[in-house]
Amino acid sequence: MATSSSRPYQGKLRYGAPNHEGRIWLFMRLTGLVMFITVVFHLLYMHMAVGVENITFDNIDARWSGPAGVFWRLFDASLLFIGMAHGMNGVRFSINDYVHNKILNFLLTAAVYGLGLFLILLGTVAIVLGVGGLGNLFQRLMG
Amino acid sequence: MAALVASIYRGISYRGAEGQWAWILHRASGLGIVLFLYMHIVSIFIAAIGPGPYAWVHATLYTSPPAKVLEVFLLFGVLYHAFNGMRIIIIDFFPALGRYQRTIVRIELALVVIVLVPAAIITLRGIF
Repeated sequence: MATSSSRPYQGKLRYGAPNHEGRIWLFMRLTGLVMFITVVFHLLYMHMAVGVENITFDNIDARWSGPAGVFWRLFDASLLFIGMAHGMNGVRFSINDYVHNKILNFLLTAAVYGLGLFLILLGTVAIVLGVGGLGNLFQRLMG
Repeated sequence: MAALVASIYRGISYRGAEGQWAWILHRASGLGIVLFLYMHIVSIFIAAIGPGPYAWVHATLYTSPPAKVLEVFLLFGVLYHAFNGMRIIIIDFFPALGRYQRTIVRIELALVVIVLVPAAIITLRGIF
C-alpha cells in the first residue's frame, strides 16, 4: 500500500513482535532517558558545582571513599556502562550509514567494539581499584 | 568514502531545514561525545595508576586554556544531544506532534541555550 502524505502519521501505532533492531531502538531510547538524568547531572554538577579545577586526585579519592563512595562508584559505573553501550551502538549506526562494503563494515564495527570493550575494562579496573589503586597493587606485587 | 562524500553533498543541497540540521547535529555531537568518552575513560584509568600521572593529565587535558575552549564544545554537545534525544523520544511516542516539529526544535534549542550560557560563562571565566 503506497501512501503519499506530507502530514505526520495520524493512525494508531501498531506494535508487532519486536525484532533485534526493534529492541535496539527501544534500548537507545531507554538508555537515553536514563542518561538525560544521570549524564546531564554529572556534567552540570562536575562543571558548575564542583569545578573542573577541583577534580584533583585527592578529591576523587575522597568522593570514592566511605559509604557514600560506594554510591558514587556505582553511579560512575552506570555512566561508564550505559554511556559506552549507547555510544558504541551510535557509532555502529554511523558505520552502517556510510560504509556499504560488507568486509570493511565488519572490520570497522569489530574495531569499534573491540576498542569499546577494552575501554570498559580500563574504566571498570579504575572504579573497582580506586584512584591510585592500580599503582598500589603493583607496588604490593613487586614487594 | 564515496558514500560519505555523497552524503555530505546531499546534506548541503537538500534543504530539509530544522529537522535535517537537528539530525546532522545529533550525529556530529554523538560522535564527538564518544571521542571525548574514550579520552575520559583513559584519563580516569591513569588516575588509578597514581597521583603523579593524573596531575599531568588534569593540568593538560582538563584545565589548560585549550581544554577550557574544548570544554564549551563538550557542554554544547552533551546538552544538545540530551535535549534533541528527548525531542526524538517525544516525537517517536507521540507521532501526531510531528506536525509541530519545527516549533519543537526551536523550543529545544532555546532550552539548550538557557542551560549552556551560564555553564559556558563559568567554564571560560578562568581563562580571561
